[in-house]
Amino acid sequence: MSGNAMIRRFLKSDFFYDFTHAPIAVVSFVVIMVIVTCAIFAGFIAPTNPFDPSSLELMNGFTPPMQPNAFTGDVFLMGADDQGRDLFSAILYGLRISLFVGVMAVILAMVLGILLGLTAGYVGGWLDNLIMRFADIQMTFPSILIAMLIHGVARGILPPELRYEMSITVLIVAIGLSEWVPFARTVRGSTMVEKEKEYVAAAQLIGLNRWQIMVRHILPNVLSPVLVIATITFALAIIAEATLSFLGVGAPRTEPSLGTLIRIGQDFLFSGEWWILLFPALTLLALALAVNLFGDWLRDKLNPRLK
Amino acid sequence: MSFIIANHLTRQYDLSDPWIVRMLTSNKRKQLTAVDDVSFSIDKGTTYALVGESGSGKSTIAKMVVGLLAPSAGAITFDGKMINDETISKADRQRLRRRIQMVFQSPYASLNPRWAVGDILKEPIRAFGLFDSRADQDKRVNELLDQVGLSARDANKYPHEFSGGQRQRISIARALSSQPDVIICDEPTSALDVSVQAQVLNLLKTLQKEFSLTYLFISHDLAVVSTMANKIGVLNEGKLVEEAVPSQLFAKPENPYTKMLIDAVPDFGKV
Ligand SMILES: Nc1ncnc2c1ncn2[C@@H]1O[C@H](COP(=O)(O)OP(=O)(O)OP(=O)(O)O)[C@@H](O)[C@H]1O
Ligand SMILES: [Mg+2]
Repeated sequence: MSGNAMIRRFLKSDFFYDFTHAPIAVVSFVVIMVIVTCAIFAGFIAPTNPFDPSSLELMNGFTPPMQPNAFTGDVFLMGADDQGRDLFSAILYGLRISLFVGVMAVILAMVLGILLGLTAGYVGGWLDNLIMRFADIQMTFPSILIAMLIHGVARGILPPELRYEMSITVLIVAIGLSEWVPFARTVRGSTMVEKEKEYVAAAQLIGLNRWQIMVRHILPNVLSPVLVIATITFALAIIAEATLSFLGVGAPRTEPSLGTLIRIGQDFLFSGEWWILLFPALTLLALALAVNLFGDWLRDKLNPRLK
Repeated sequence: MSFIIANHLTRQYDLSDPWIVRMLTSNKRKQLTAVDDVSFSIDKGTTYALVGESGSGKSTIAKMVVGLLAPSAGAITFDGKMINDETISKADRQRLRRRIQMVFQSPYASLNPRWAVGDILKEPIRAFGLFDSRADQDKRVNELLDQVGLSARDANKYPHEFSGGQRQRISIARALSSQPDVIICDEPTSALDVSVQAQVLNLLKTLQKEFSLTYLFISHDLAVVSTMANKIGVLNEGKLVEEAVPSQLFAKPENPYTKMLIDAVPDFGKV
């Protein structure tokens, strides 16, 4: 099928019709797209580069939004923080880090969860028991606690000079490892249904091995609920990233993510510089809410059983 | 000469509670004997039909013959070789698989919904290394589709675009694609409308003549079996209670269970 024909078919599909007739879905999708676009093109949209210390003018510190600075006369859309950093730019660049961490963490959790769920469901027996009991145990702890634990272990293992460089990677691994269970459970359930179907017997009959059957035959048939879980996990991952950064175990101060910005802003809330906290917090709220609402709609649409 | 021989085939399913539950409740192990000491043989190029009610063990026998399930006791000999032998080499096992294929009951569950028909048919060709070049494989797919009464254009379609009868034709084409000697048909028409049933049964007969195929044909429907089989075995609760050629079976059934099955078919004389 050509790309054009596929797009035309999609535009005519029930899915697209339902989408255009669900205001919440449309609004949240637009919000997500705007935020993602801003983050991707931060380099063009942002007036300054907040990661470049030489561009900072300390005199601009604490400039309120939309008011010229008393000394330099500079005006900032969302004000400036304590270091004179343009908050609007910092949020755009921070979004980039938050989204990057979120996407990578979801991919990690998804790959891990699919792999373990597929194996547990298809192979069964003691391996299934081992994987799923481990999942049960992990689910009894809040994922943020697990992420902090993994983060702590990573800090202990990594040599000090790498700790700083690796902080984003550690963040991704920590969040990814704390969110694999829902993927694994869903995939395991669908795998157990699919493996009893006759097309799997037909594949066994021609001598395919377990891996070929799992990956080529079963995997494509268990993926649709994964998309829904990925969306919802993405919202969780962004919040987890912000929480960890807020707690000071995430993105560093010099390359702040949304969570880091909120942590910085919090220090100045009671001295009256409200904008340093408010704007990053609103952005996070809008993003997390939009992804969540869109994920909810997608879930109801694609797989009512998942409720 | 007997092409396939089933010798004292037996299969038990373990229905026991988990051991920890058994320990606590002192329940015994529970074994269900789904197939109980069944022996039969099939001549080359003929059709042997197994009939019996739901749960009589028909599918269990089919799975043992194709090698999807190991017998608890007994053995199957195919073309002079024991096929449930653990010591068979991987290459020999693969050669055996190529020669014994299967058509399944459900037109819906037996085709992977995410695969195009052409890919479904090519998979056995590749797995058995029958045609190396893509062009030859495509040609073979077209030939197979033609043999089962579908068109070459159907190769690019997906299973959901076909009717139940057409899907069974695709299933038959898949079984044919490895150029087998034996095809096990496990209720290949029981999910189809009567009119479509006849077409699929005729197709199976035509193919049998053309490729001198040997069929193990499984059904719960005596009317269907009477048109297909050279020999019929009647299964009741896992036991083979009677075996005869169709004319004799319908004229003079010896076993009371067989009589009951025949009486259960309305207007059987007219079929
Ligand atoms: N995997 C299994 N585990 C336990 N019991 C099973 C299993 N498969 C089949 N059985 C039991 O074995 C018996 C025979 O089953 P089988 O599927 O061979 O019957 P069948 O004659 O093919 O019936 P149908 O016409 O419904 O397909 C049944 O009582 C069934 O419940
Ligand atoms: Mg059956």
